[in-house]
Amino acid sequence: MIRLSLLQFRVQAITAAAALAAFAILLATTGPHLASLYAASGISGCQPAACEHLASNFLQQLYTAGTYWVLYLLGVMLILLTPAVIGLFWGAPLIAREQETGTSALAWNQSITRTRWLAVKLAVGGLAAMAVTEAMSLMQAWWAAPIGRAVGLGGGGTNLAMGRFSSLVFATHGITPLGYAAFAFTLGVTAGALIQRTVPAMAVTLAIFAAVQIAMPLWIRPNLFPARHTIVAITALDNISLQQGGLNGSHFDLGALNLPGQPGAWLLFSEAVNAAGQATSTTPAACTAQADENSTPAVMACLASHGFREAISYQPASRYWAFQWTETGIYLAAALALAGYCFRRLNRRLS
Amino acid sequence: MTAVIQASGLGKRYRRTWALRDCTLAIPEGRVTGLVGPNGAGKTTLLRLAVGMLTPACGTIAVLGQSPAAGPAQLARVGFVAQDTPVYARMTVADHLRLGAWLNPGWDDDLARRRIGQLGLDPKQRAGSLSGGQRAQLALTLALAKRPELLILDEPVAALDPLARREFLQGLMEAVAEHGLSIVLSSHLVADLERVCDYLIVLVASRVQIAGELSALLGSHHRLSGPRRDPGTMPTGQEVIQESHTDKQSNLLIRTDGPVLDPAWTVKPVSLEDLVLAYMSRAADGTPARRQRLGAVS
Repeated sequence: MIRLSLLQFRVQAITAAAALAAFAILLATTGPHLASLYAASGISGCQPAACEHLASNFLQQLYTAGTYWVLYLLGVMLILLTPAVIGLFWGAPLIAREQETGTSALAWNQSITRTRWLAVKLAVGGLAAMAVTEAMSLMQAWWAAPIGRAVGLGGGGTNLAMGRFSSLVFATHGITPLGYAAFAFTLGVTAGALIQRTVPAMAVTLAIFAAVQIAMPLWIRPNLFPARHTIVAITALDNISLQQGGLNGSHFDLGALNLPGQPGAWLLFSEAVNAAGQATSTTPAACTAQADENSTPAVMACLASHGFREAISYQPASRYWAFQWTETGIYLAAALALAGYCFRRLNRRLS
Repeated sequence: MTAVIQASGLGKRYRRTWALRDCTLAIPEGRVTGLVGPNGAGKTTLLRLAVGMLTPACGTIAVLGQSPAAGPAQLARVGFVAQDTPVYARMTVADHLRLGAWLNPGWDDDLARRRIGQLGLDPKQRAGSLSGGQRAQLALTLALAKRPELLILDEPVAALDPLARREFLQGLMEAVAEHGLSIVLSSHLVADLERVCDYLIVLVASRVQIAGELSALLGSHHRLSGPRRDPGTMPTGQEVIQESHTDKQSNLLIRTDGPVLDPAWTVKPVSLEDLVLAYMSRAADGTPARRQRLGAVS
């Protein structure tokens, strides 16, 4: 059955190999130049005080030049899309196409049980899906290593400065792509087994996978571990966003973009609290005048002098791998559950 | 009689409609059994239940004494050629033989290659570009080379032209002669069944209308014509299957194990087609079909 499975997987395997090769060539031809830019930036061997500035300059340079920013996003998007494409084109037809063309009657009337047939098909397709996706992730990680190091050193100020916990980076690095690939593939197989028609099964697979991939970073991932809470002095914040609104800046919204003393932490939520510790967005009357001058430091100083502080919910950087393992585990468990359902369905209720 | 397929109270339902309901039958071993009936009689459902492609909603079915598709051993004993003889369009003829060899421990590679050679199929050709007849032959080759004890075919020739149909059935007959396997074949083409079958089952609305050896069936059914007569007055042992009347004349199709002695009747043999049609048109409750003729008063 393994030989048959490989024989029938030929076209997909060739397609995947070609796509991987194209991706590898794209990264291999641009990666060395990116690395040389990094080497020229003077970040390696920088004095600790200067590192952040150099890293920011480096990222700014890449962002302004455009090419590497676009390539970075392209790579990330391809890695995010690959599991979906695999679920659609490998997963959904696996059972549905057999049902549609009637070849299930051929496949399941050889001297081999349907359980074995599905087990081998799932193993070959699932492992290939995971291998392809993770290979892309690893290649991209190699390519983007200079950017990652610059961000890790505190480089900021541009859209390139995405930390490891940012949705795009977290989902395309580490081991999460393995989980996504396995899940998307089995999701496609299950949809195909249920609907028994390939194209509708593909549509359903895409819809569900997209919904899951949106729900995960927005609502599920932040709550995988209880967030930590802290309150820091406004003056201690070195990277903030301050928005003022209303008449004379009567309202404000102060967000912290990083947490002093916790480099690389994932900031979930931040808001200003007054001296009594209550969340508020009303600018003290004494500080509204400062708003006219449109001077952020002045407003900050004024807020601080009125006892305002910043409450921050966050996940510490040390939890990165715990998050990676947990999320990957959830997706793998879902994939196993779906596979189990397929086995049951194939043995009991197919028509 | 040893049964290769034994069904009892067998039923299969799709949501609210029954595709097969309360079907009880036994198909004997060592025969080429024709399963004939109108569309919707449940033939395909019955055969797909027999190979385990479907699971029954109620009742039981045993194939070669075991439940269908119970395991690799049981799967190896039963061959199946499904309706429209599906094959993998993108795989070559040779790939299909490889598939058979990989998945069947009892695979008869000589038989497979010999058949492919006789059929003149190019091993490198993709199955998707084969003609309907060639595709059916490839499907049959796969099913035969697995060397099953029982081969089940669901309308294998329905879509074929007369020549391809003849060649397919010829191949089937050769296999029977060579390997002595039991065959169950569904069709609504009576002429084809007559050519290959030696046992016939007429299935209408999930019920067996008649089952028996072909020659015995033909021998025990007669077409009678004579002066008008009430079929209710027929002697015991003569069952009226079909009747039609004019003012003066009665035409009956009867079943009897003994001879027809009444000299008022002109007795003629029935064709298999007439016999099957008579049973198919007979209402499921067993009353004879009343064939209306133009100008008939009955």
